[in-house]
Amino acid sequence: MTLLRRALAALGIAGLVAAVLRLRGSGGVPPQQGGWRELSGPDLR
Amino acid sequence: MRVAVVGLGAVGIRAARQLASTSEVEALLLRDPRAGRADEVAAAIGAVARVDHTTELPDTDVVVLAGPCRTQVALARDAVSKGCHVVSVSDDVGDVKALLELGPEAEARGVSVIAGASFAPGLSCVLAAHAAGSLDRVEEIHSAALGTGGPACAVQHHAALGGRAIEWRDGGWLHTPSGSGRELCWFPEPVGAADCYRGALPGPLLLVPAFPGIARVTARVAATRRDRLTGHLPMLRPPHPEGGVGAVRVEARGWRGSVSDTVVLGVMDRPAVAAGAVAALAAVSAGSGSVRRRGAGGLAELIEPLSFLHELARRGVKAAVFEGRSLFA
Repeated sequence: MTLLRRALAALGIAGLVAAVLRLRGSGGVPPQQGGWRELSGPDLR
Repeated sequence: MRVAVVGLGAVGIRAARQLASTSEVEALLLRDPRAGRADEVAAAIGAVARVDHTTELPDTDVVVLAGPCRTQVALARDAVSKGCHVVSVSDDVGDVKALLELGPEAEARGVSVIAGASFAPGLSCVLAAHAAGSLDRVEEIHSAALGTGGPACAVQHHAALGGRAIEWRDGGWLHTPSGSGRELCWFPEPVGAADCYRGALPGPLLLVPAFPGIARVTARVAATRRDRLTGHLPMLRPPHPEGGVGAVRVEARGWRGSVSDTVVLGVMDRPAVAAGAVAALAAVSAGSGSVRRRGAGGLAELIEPLSFLHELARRGVKAAVFEGRSLFA
């Protein structure tokens, strides 16, 4: 039972750390929603 | 200016057509090893073009090397020794390395050697320069390309999946197996998403010198399971005369002030058509002296991306930006 509790605690802590790194990581998160827009006049000046 | 185009395949013909319609080009000399090919193209282009029948490299201001990979370096060396600007469309890693090594001699002679002036690399380098320019500090550039131009390009795509991939990571070159590192990349519509893999692609060799201090530069190419499986074998069937619609995309990651940001640019077009326009514009830039410096390098280093993209758009090759948001922003 102790082993199971420790394993669950370890998994929980690992998940928490991973979530923090995912959200606060230095690399940022690339865009995941949106669409393509052609570069036109003002973009090319 | 006088421009020579050596090699009249899918890209060479498009470059020649683009050059013929450029006001700065007074004379266009065409050369191809296939009998009658140059005459045929010259007749189709019109009065500005004529065929070069000499065995020596023609005496011009700029030479566009559009022949097959691994045939261009000797010609480039010859051209530089004659004080002629060189634009190469080769996307072979060995060719690009050898062309970059011509830098000191080209600089001494006051000429430019523009390596990898094609679709990817080439257009990808211009997009990278433009994307990086919109960030205060760029840390990573990742490019991906889909599709091939003519048969020589298809052969090179096959070879790229059989060689060793190179990428730049934390100040050093990393060599990894081609066909590894699958990433689902989204290209401009209607191309959409495709699985892209590492390959023996010269893009990082051209991008790293353009962005001193950059942490990561990678290049990927779209491939099927069959492409990856047969990459280490000889081509099992002859390449197509010309591929269909292709696309290139570049993702630049960095910082705007204290906020991390990602800029994604792309182009959807027939690779040979876009590559021809890029090579022709690179030749005009080199011949008119509007490059940033003399010597050898890629387009990201040598040209001003905004005016280049503007001129490309005028010629029908239009870039697009991915405007999205992060789910976690």
